[in-house]
Amino acid sequence: MSYRKWMDNAFWETDEKQMLNCILEMEDDVGRVTRQVMKLRKTDDDGKENPDFVEVVDQLGEELITENTNERNVRKKREAEEDKQRQLEHAKARKLEQLFNYKLEAFEIDDIKNSKNRQLKSKLRRAKNRVEVDLYAIMIVMEEMKKREEEENGTD
Amino acid sequence: MEPTKGYVLVASCKINFYRYAINLAESILDYNPDAKMTLFCEEWMFEELHRDLFENVYWCDNHYRAKLQGMSKSPYDLTFYVDVDMECEHEDIALVFDELGESDVMFSALTDDREYTYAERRFDSPEGKQIFDLCGGVCLYDMRKPIVRQFMHDWWELTRRMMNREWFPEGYNESLRSWDQFTLWWLVNKEDKYKDLKVGIFENDLRWNYYNALNPAITPTPEGGIVLRHYSCGLDKDGFIL
Repeated sequence: MSYRKWMDNAFWETDEKQMLNCILEMEDDVGRVTRQVMKLRKTDDDGKENPDFVEVVDQLGEELITENTNERNVRKKREAEEDKQRQLEHAKARKLEQLFNYKLEAFEIDDIKNSKNRQLKSKLRRAKNRVEVDLYAIMIVMEEMKKREEEENGTD
Repeated sequence: MEPTKGYVLVASCKINFYRYAINLAESILDYNPDAKMTLFCEEWMFEELHRDLFENVYWCDNHYRAKLQGMSKSPYDLTFYVDVDMECEHEDIALVFDELGESDVMFSALTDDREYTYAERRFDSPEGKQIFDLCGGVCLYDMRKPIVRQFMHDWWELTRRMMNREWFPEGYNESLRSWDQFTLWWLVNKEDKYKDLKVGIFENDLRWNYYNALNPAITPTPEGGIVLRHYSCGLDKDGFIL
């Protein structure tokens, strides 16, 4: 037994309710079911009414279609917000990895590598951004330079 | 007698792993100045100035999975192995040894909701679809128990043989050959001699192995704060830092 029916999740494509987005489900004579997504205009270019459009509205009712449209808009907005949040968090993770690599570069600078000042090195490791890394790196390097100067002056 | 407690770190093959290991060791000391640590690395990597960070420094093989060799040779009764591409961020690192409870070995979990960060988790076997559920990024274990010592030895040996093409079971995808997770899965699920091994998952396991690739908008950040952050996915392990 073949049939043709409109799925009950149709929604308005436009605020003016001049276009519908809907799915037509059909079963053929050998029992194969297919679904087709369709965008239906209310009227064609000549202003002639589209019978499929009328059929969907008659079958589902304007109220249900409007309800579907509102639910979809809320869902789409929420999904967009979630996606934005995910992108933001993803970017933060990438930034943290870059900062981690940047710190490791700093730790390979001889004066920093050889420094025994665990407190400053710890501050450098916990730095939250590049500026902070640079500041602590400079402090450690300057401390090492000062130590060398003092050693040189002491041996003169 | 109180069991000895310590951290095992392993760096092999690439100099960056050694650099990560030094950073990890220093970060552990930042939060637990009394930490006892043993480093396994290749002799050519080692720089003498780092000696005082560690209680012991031992040489390991030039092998991608030398971590298992290091784990099997831990000098500590209670051992916490940590992948070196991690960094410590919390003083609770000192309390990790209390987590073991009744378990013999303890891991963090691979779960469905974190699957978006995993390379290969689901695989076919002759018995049907299988799934890795243990992550070897960190491992807490009790080396006083003979079954644990034997397990660690076998995990390393089986992985070494698998990667050396001396062992691989029929009916499994060749891509699994490079994963120590596969030999872990094999030993836990297929070897009768380990049927009594008590394998546990850390309570609040993300604290102990928080993948930086996890997205807090999808996977909430663990309560109590991250103890160890794992940078695994985003690092240039082959490149040189300087």
